Amino acid sequence: MNIEKHTEAIKACRFCFMCRHLSGIGNVTFRESDTPRVRALLLDQVMSNPALLANADTLETLYNSDLSAACRYHCVKHFDENGLLLAAREDVVKAGLAPADVCQVAAEYLARPAAPAISGKGDVLYFIDYNTAAVPAIATAFGKIMKKAGVSYRSAEKGCPGKALKVLGYANEAQKAAREFAAAVNAANVKTIVVSNPAAYDALVHDFPEMGIKLKGKVMHTSEYLLSLKLACRKKAGALYYLESDFLKNYHPDYEFPGKLLSHLGAKRLTFGTNNEESYTCGEGALVLQQLRPVLVKKLACYIEARADHPEKDLLVTASPYTRKQLSTHTKLKVVTLEELTASLI
Amino acid sequence: MLIERKSYLFEMIRNELADAVGAEFVNCADSDKMGHSIDYYWIPELWHDRGKETKKPDFVVHPGSAEEVSKVLKIANQYQIPVTTWGGGSGSQGGALPVYGGIILDTKRMNKVLQIDEQSLSVTCETGIIARHLEWEVNKAGYSTMHLPASIACATIGGFLAHRGTGVLSTKWGKIEDMVMSLEVVTPTGEIIQTLPVPRHASGPDLTMLFLGSEGTLGVITKVTLKIHPQPEARKFRAFIFEDMHTAMSAGADLMRSRLRPCAVRLYDEEETSHHVKRVLGLDRKGAYLVFGFDGQEKIVDLEMEYALQIMSRYKAEDLGSKGGELWWENKYKFFYPGYMFHLPQAFGTLDTVADFAHIEKVYQAMKDVVKTNFPQARFIGHFSHWYEWGCMLYARFIFEGEHVPADAEEAVALYNRVWDLAIRAAIANGGVINEHHGVGLKLGRLMKELYGDGFKVLEGIKKTLDPNNIMNPGKMGFKGV
Repeated sequence: MNIEKHTEAIKACRFCFMCRHLSGIGNVTFRESDTPRVRALLLDQVMSNPALLANADTLETLYNSDLSAACRYHCVKHFDENGLLLAAREDVVKAGLAPADVCQVAAEYLARPAAPAISGKGDVLYFIDYNTAAVPAIATAFGKIMKKAGVSYRSAEKGCPGKALKVLGYANEAQKAAREFAAAVNAANVKTIVVSNPAAYDALVHDFPEMGIKLKGKVMHTSEYLLSLKLACRKKAGALYYLESDFLKNYHPDYEFPGKLLSHLGAKRLTFGTNNEESYTCGEGALVLQQLRPVLVKKLACYIEARADHPEKDLLVTASPYTRKQLSTHTKLKVVTLEELTASLI
Repeated sequence: MLIERKSYLFEMIRNELADAVGAEFVNCADSDKMGHSIDYYWIPELWHDRGKETKKPDFVVHPGSAEEVSKVLKIANQYQIPVTTWGGGSGSQGGALPVYGGIILDTKRMNKVLQIDEQSLSVTCETGIIARHLEWEVNKAGYSTMHLPASIACATIGGFLAHRGTGVLSTKWGKIEDMVMSLEVVTPTGEIIQTLPVPRHASGPDLTMLFLGSEGTLGVITKVTLKIHPQPEARKFRAFIFEDMHTAMSAGADLMRSRLRPCAVRLYDEEETSHHVKRVLGLDRKGAYLVFGFDGQEKIVDLEMEYALQIMSRYKAEDLGSKGGELWWENKYKFFYPGYMFHLPQAFGTLDTVADFAHIEKVYQAMKDVVKTNFPQARFIGHFSHWYEWGCMLYARFIFEGEHVPADAEEAVALYNRVWDLAIRAAIANGGVINEHHGVGLKLGRLMKELYGDGFKVLEGIKKTLDPNNIMNPGKMGFKGV
């Protein structure tokens, strides 16, 4: 079983309570099972008796997680309960135990072409994945910025680098999609690949090398790329709340570009809520949580809204198109992405 | 009565509970029942580790208010179903384990901060809030509860109230019972009562104190008003290495007798200094590590520190300076994270007791002797972590490693319980008590009568009066089981 590779995390997390306060889902369901401790306990049992993986409650628990990795970031030794869950989901799929809702979401992604549709001219390729495409204002803002900067670029629309399939536990299918995606992107022969969605960034920068897939061109999140343009701003961003991305904060802890871009834009960053440890992303790390657990995503959004100082007035900025979409859908919060903010200031 | 799972009565009760708190908040999922069958007590952890079945609840309910708690307790009385209150589940004494099945009443849905009173400096909140979340809320308003235990991230405020918990700043700011202004409690029969609004009065015995430390046996604490404090302008630490623990204890006691008000004092014995402190803090020294700090207005802190250093100067000790003290403060929780905390397959326990300065070293020595004599295969380490004007708390630990932990689970449990029996009896015989801040729970209930003598009959009488059907956490704290 794949979870055997994560025995260390199982043993470390099964009796540990130290990150309970950061259990995003646990904080809205109040269920003990929605904590790293109980997930590790359940998988500890599965290690001794693999038949227990078929338990419907265990399966529900495994797919409830928001995969924010806040626990891993917080943990003194950074035990990887997130990696354990992804391995467990892979075991679930391999054993043919994937619940019907998981199969349905996977089928949607499998039906989509992995290779993106590429158009335009230039050395820069802007990848508009499904989450980014779901908020058209983001690509529009990026286009406005590029026009202002005088840079021509190509768009790679939709396409599937395999991240959603990986998160669902479909490792082989994820790898196949990733290879097709990479082949299409490499054929474009660009110098720079820019992505708005931090999940896609993680896929290209972390998952691809792990799968042995090489991309031609340097991959940048838009925050890094926009900063490199050294844009002149006609006004300052002013006071705002930046909601960290799970992927950029907890998966790539040294990724400093969103902060640097905000400073460049003249932002005065205020602390959202009460702390900078909790995930305020509506389940960004789980990527397809909205399709799998819409009720939980709504609860996560309301949890965030309840922590705003002035819910209808405050300006919230996120690096994540997914978070932008969920907060706009479920709350009255005023939220924009880094691209939208930048476009409004230049 | 214990319910037959597959009976129609079970379904009827489930429906009644759903009617009381909402169907979404009555949970019978295997994964949740499993989660509530193991807390931070070593025995259920061992039981799980050895592949044995842990005792699970029949229902997990998440009430959202005192009124809903009341409804649940009335249902439980009607059918005489055991109710075990569960906050964060991070207690080390088995107090939240549903040993007779029945209902787990999980309080975490009651997690609202209701009011921060900046005139009286108090916060009123529901008790299911995780202590870290409350502290963050209070911090945002510019204050602190000053309740900063190692379990702050996982335990609820209700858990601390139920077990008389404490935090690292207890020496100045007190244990949780010193922080409480007032409580709302749902009694076992479902009445919602409010204790007096202030903690100092001459209006009869103190009802607030009756419920603090009652570990879910006398009702469910649903709301609390706690004192809060302005964030201190400065908090400074200093550390010393003494040749031996006895000398360091004298210095620490002198510090307390001087009536200076350190916020924290901690003294590690030679064994813990050279092993555990070295591993966690990277401080490689022989002897006993004493660290203390002061907080408040900076000028006052500096003055207190100056006087404290004068006291230390009477002793032969290596001054590790403020750096040696800050090292501890910055890493105070690190001791409890995986990789640093003791864990299975080790067998370990915290023999937590408290005594006055006239007795504390005798207690320490007696516990150490009893462990060393009867269990030479075990390690014994200790530190003194909560200091008062009159004495301090001993946080002693025993640890069995490798082949010294019996493979057979029953044998391991017998060994474990034997250590507790002998060590705690040694503590009591020398002026200590069963426990200082972890509580009694399932682990130490059998020793309560020995500790209290006839006084325990008073506690039993209170229990019987408040909980005539014995539904609240039966079998814990020395009270009778089902």
